[in-house]
Formats: sequence, structure tokens, C-alpha cells
Amino acid sequence: MVSAATVLVMSLSIFMIGSVIVGSAFLSGIISSLEEKVDVSAYFKTAAPEAQILSLKKDLEALPEVRAVKFISADEALATFRERHVGDDAILQSLEVVGANPFSPSLEIKAKDSSKYDAISKFLEKGQYSGILDADSSGAKKITYRQNQFVIDRLSSLLSTSRRIGFAVSLILAVIALMVAYSTVRLAIYNSRDEISVMQLVGASRAFIRGPFLVEGIIHGIIASFFTLALLYPAFWLIGAKTSALFGGVNVFQYFLSNIFQIFFILLVSGMLLGVLSAYIAIRRYLRV
Amino acid sequence: MIYFDKVSKVYSPTSIALEDVSFTIAPNEFISIVGQSGAGKSTLLKLLLAEDRPTSGKVFFESNDIHAVPRKELPLIRRRMGVVFQDYRLLPQKTAYENVAFALEAGGKEDDDIKHDVPQVLELVGLMDKAWHFPHELSGGEKQRVAIARAIVSRPDVVIADEPTGNLDPLNTWDIIHLLEKVNDLKTTVILATHDKEIINSLKRRVVTLEKGKLVRDEQRGRYVL
Repeated sequence: MVSAATVLVMSLSIFMIGSVIVGSAFLSGIISSLEEKVDVSAYFKTAAPEAQILSLKKDLEALPEVRAVKFISADEALATFRERHVGDDAILQSLEVVGANPFSPSLEIKAKDSSKYDAISKFLEKGQYSGILDADSSGAKKITYRQNQFVIDRLSSLLSTSRRIGFAVSLILAVIALMVAYSTVRLAIYNSRDEISVMQLVGASRAFIRGPFLVEGIIHGIIASFFTLALLYPAFWLIGAKTSALFGGVNVFQYFLSNIFQIFFILLVSGMLLGVLSAYIAIRRYLRV
Repeated sequence: MIYFDKVSKVYSPTSIALEDVSFTIAPNEFISIVGQSGAGKSTLLKLLLAEDRPTSGKVFFESNDIHAVPRKELPLIRRRMGVVFQDYRLLPQKTAYENVAFALEAGGKEDDDIKHDVPQVLELVGLMDKAWHFPHELSGGEKQRVAIARAIVSRPDVVIADEPTGNLDPLNTWDIIHLLEKVNDLKTTVILATHDKEIINSLKRRVVTLEKGKLVRDEQRGRYVL
């Protein structure tokens, strides 16, 4: 009753769906981890009073575009610098030569999404606090957004494009999967057309005839989803190390493993839906008589 | 009980299967529909089984216009008709017993009734000893007897046989015809489509003759004249 060919083709379809799901979840994981790394720092004059900086911080936090603001005092900046260059005597000695703390206090600002940095940096430049912001010799304020603007803009357009492309590709693959599964199931039901016509002639109701085919479709879907999980495991294992090298620590296999139950559930449901829907549509044309 | 009312079936202007055919079949009748191949016998039976729709005219089964019955109720009417085909149309992966039982299962009968009825009809057609054989293990005559058992097991009001002896040798042919007569004796209407001259002449029952889609003769105790 259960045909290997149908299960294989359905596995292929579910495999596509599964890869798209894991792939797009993984992609958006990468995207949000990249977004996490993007921020904007505003540097203040060494003489700027801390109370003013903190009140600016409060104002910034009240903005709807801002997710988080972190105050880094001059002393903290110095400590971080020392930590980063521990063991590098030349640099540490040059600090001694300078004598005073050469760092300025700063605010590290994270936006809700990367397209908002422009607005935030404008707020800083035009706002009442622009006087305490440090400026370079040409008079431009020291806001890292201006320096990184190109990279941030590119990144944010890249992110939104890849989200859109990812969605379109998943949609197309899902439609292809449905069509392939449907034509396979239709072929299988075509082979049973004599049986179906005999059933109709002995007075079987439509539900009675349809029932076994729908059950068969569900069984195909269940077997195919198990089979697909068994295929996805080694596939992600193989590419896992590569992705982790490419995207700096984000491992698609790890993601797969930690979400394996949700993924299997999605595969199972989409397999059963695929099987039962294909069978339902395919049998309609043989129930016309 | 069955009434064909000015039924025509036109497949295309050059291929007219039935033209303005009207006749009535009474309960418990044994009626033969004769004619050469292509005269419209099979089309007539297909219309009665609602396998196809007439181009014009109506087919009544008792008071029901078969082609106006809601699709959901059609199975209920089909359960009151038993069908036998030239090519048997048994389900190859089911045994003789299962093929017969299947007609009852499809009709939603209880398991106990099925266990009681199926051996009875297999006994009637003389195949109890081969009940557990698959169709490919049976001869043509045996297959046709299973098909008749399947057709009558749900105690239909009418048995429709479309060239049931077309693939059989003379001896088996007579077995099948005698079986159909026995079915008729048990108060079931029998509609037999055939082009076998000897069968018609020895039956001495009502004969409806079709020629090129038209009803040309309808005689009680008819003979095969073409």
C-alpha cells in the first residue's frame, strides 16, 4: 500500500521545506547577531560634566528608535584599553608617557534596527547637547556613525534584501514541493482508477472511497518526515563546520540540534498536510462519475 | 420501475450513440437489450448507472430522475443496482470472498451480516470451494460468477449485465445465463445486454433491439433479428 517512490518524492519536498526553514532561521540568526554588533558611539569632550552626559543618556533612552544606551566613562575606557593590550609593553609605556587619561567618556547606543542610526546621530548633532560632544579639527562631531555610515547603510540594505529574497525563495520552493508531491500522488491514484470506479459502482460513498487514500497520504507524509530528518541530520552535520568558520562561531548544525524537536514537528505537520492535500485533490478527478 | 424517457446521447454530430430512446422496464422482468457493437447498448446501461449523462431526455429509477439526484444520494441508488461487466472488474488484490464482501462494506453493512450473506451467495453461484482464491487463480467463468455474486449480495432490485458472456466459452456462457435466470426467479429484475444470437433465441424473454442508436423493436418473447 505504501509506495517507496511516493515516499521518496515527498521526502524530497519536505527536505526542501526543512532546509528552507532551518536556512532562513539560521539566516535571521546571523542577521540579528550582525545587528547586535552594530552600534554608534558618541564621544564627549574630556571636560564634559558627567551629569549632562547622563541626562543625555536619559533623553536617548526615551527615543522610540533606541534599544539600549551604555555610558562608558573615561576611566572605564582606559581600563578596557589596558586589558586589551595587556602584555604589550610598548603601548602600556606610551600611556605612562602621556600621563593623564587620554580617553574621552562616551555613550554606546544600540538602535532597534540598523536603519535608525541616521536619525539617532542627527538627534545627537542637532540637539541641545551638541556642545559637549567632542569634535575633530574640521569641526565634525565624533560620532562613529558618520565614520561607519557606509558600512552600516550597506549592511542594513543587505539585511532587508536577504530577508525578502529568503522569503521569496522559501515560497517558491514550497510551491514546487507541493506540485511535485501532488503529481506523484496523482500517478499513484491513477493506478487505482479501476478500483475507484468499481467502488463507485457498488455504491460506495465518496467518503468511503476517499478515506483509505487520505490515510495513505498521511502515512506517506509521516514516513517521509522521518526519512527527511534522517537526511537533514548528516547534511547539516557536514555543512555545520563550514558555516561556523564562515560566519564566526554561528554553527547551523548546533542550531539544528538545539531545535530538533520543533523542526521535526514542522516537518511532520507539513508532510502530513502535503500527503493528505495531494491525495484529496488528486482523487477528486476520479470521483466525478 | 425503470423508465427511459426520450433519451439521446450525442458524443459529437457524427457520433450519435442514442437517439430518442423510450421504453419502460417492469419489476421482476428479464429484459435483453440486443444490437450490434456500437448500437448503443453500453451507452444505455451507462446512462442507467449514472456513469454518464444523457444529452437530452431523462432516466428514471422508480420516481427518481437518476441524473438529477444529488451526488450524495447517488451511492444509495447504486446500491439497489448490481452490475456485471464483460471484463469482470474484480479487484485483483482481493480474494473472491473479499470482492463480494467489499460490495457490502461499501454499503455500510454490519460485519455479522457480511459473514452471513457472503457465503450464502458464493454457495448460490457454486464457488464456495474457491472463496479464498484470488481473481488470477480463477477461470473466466468463475470470475464472472464472483462478479454476479458481488452484484446480487446486497439484494439489489435490478441486476445489470453488460455483455457478461463476451469473454466466455459456450459452456460457461450457459452457466452464466442460467445463473441470471435464477437471479430473476428470486424476484430481481435483470437487464442483459448481449449480441449473442443463441442466448436470445433460447431465453424467450422480452427483447429490445437497438440499431444505430435507435430503438427498432421491442417484443415480448422476442427473437434475435437483425
